[in-house]
Amino acid sequence: MSGRLQDRVVIVTGATKGIGRETAKLLAREGARLACTGRDAADGASVVSEIVAEGGKAIFVAHDIASEADWRTVITRTEAELGNVYGVINNAGAFFVKPLAETTEADFQGIYDVNVQGAFLGLKLGFDAIARAGAPGAIVNVSSLMGQVGFPGAIAYCATKGAVTGLTKTAAIEGAAMRPQVRVNSLHPGVIWTPMITSQFGDDPALAQAFADDTPLKMIGLPQYMADAILFLISDEASMVNGAELTVDGGRGAD
Amino acid sequence: MERPANPRLVARLVGDDIALTQAIGRALEADGTQMVDHLNPPNVGGLDILVFIAPDATVGTIASTDVATFSGHVGANLGAAFAALQSGVSAMRQQGAGGSVVFVAPPAGGRRAFDALTQGLRLMTKAAALELGFDKIRVNIVLPGDGETPLGRTCSPADIAAVVAFAASPRSQFMTGADLVVDGGLLAR
Repeated sequence: MSGRLQDRVVIVTGATKGIGRETAKLLAREGARLACTGRDAADGASVVSEIVAEGGKAIFVAHDIASEADWRTVITRTEAELGNVYGVINNAGAFFVKPLAETTEADFQGIYDVNVQGAFLGLKLGFDAIARAGAPGAIVNVSSLMGQVGFPGAIAYCATKGAVTGLTKTAAIEGAAMRPQVRVNSLHPGVIWTPMITSQFGDDPALAQAFADDTPLKMIGLPQYMADAILFLISDEASMVNGAELTVDGGRGAD
Repeated sequence: MERPANPRLVARLVGDDIALTQAIGRALEADGTQMVDHLNPPNVGGLDILVFIAPDATVGTIASTDVATFSGHVGANLGAAFAALQSGVSAMRQQGAGGSVVFVAPPAGGRRAFDALTQGLRLMTKAAALELGFDKIRVNIVLPGDGETPLGRTCSPADIAAVVAFAASPRSQFMTGADLVVDGGLLAR
């Protein structure tokens, strides 16, 4: 099937790498016009050129998601160059591994600014943009399995991803009361083999296999699996799915 | 569920809600899936997808529901789900290509005494997911909402079927033991 998002404009944050990059490419294949945002302009240019080479339409906008000014630039450029906004994928996120005792206030504030304030701004300005568009829209917030369960050594990450779950539920109820309506859902990936993981643990195939062996489905989590789930949540297939937590983790959280 | 190019998946539906069963059948067929007879599947040489649709029931508070009625609904339907799971998994294992089991819970809300059925199915889903992951057999549960939702309309058979089709398909190949809530935001409140 294709064309699930024909001519709809979607903003994907953190689209330069990992889950965001695969998501931007998949949504473009389904007909969406993409605003790919991120901090790395070279990676941004390369994802845009890959989408364009496949016949899609995309722009790159430099974006610090913790900055409201940057968000306003993203929305303004998207509306001007691609058209009215249908959806936002609040994907960009920060991650580090440190136990509670070693996590400083600055560490905590830094990850909060990206994971919580970034998602908050994406919801707030995304709602504004969809209201201006005058047609129903949808937002997907990428939380984590660690936004649903604890994980030793990742207290700040777990706390901020739990906050994304709460943001999602409240925004889903407010979005349902808006006209036009906005659906809001959260995705909860398990361990996905992306730069976010390899930057902390090393890019070691043996480690990827160890994560797979520790997962009920015995699979390495790949970004394209998350892209499939995000496409489902943002498309009309999920038109009655709202405020839901979709866990896609190879079964890790079922235990 | 990695299959050769152009897969033709075979699905079995178990359920007595005709409108919902038909809607799910249509959604699976639109995804390129071949349906087998809903209740008495012939031997088609394997099974890729099993969908078990738990029946709805009348509203009952704990105080007003007698034990026989409770057992007849909760016990009997958990047993039926378990039997369908066992036979479906057996067919999937013979084929050796993995598979996807999707439970569809009764619509949630206002059925207090019978909420035990939904939660029993949820935990059966998780236990089966853990046990069957090695065989690449995925098990997930769709949780429909009941009545008027925050989106201002009720959840239709087509709404539920679209979510079942996603859970059944390789598009959710990394997903097992999970809830798929389709309730317009009822549970978010």
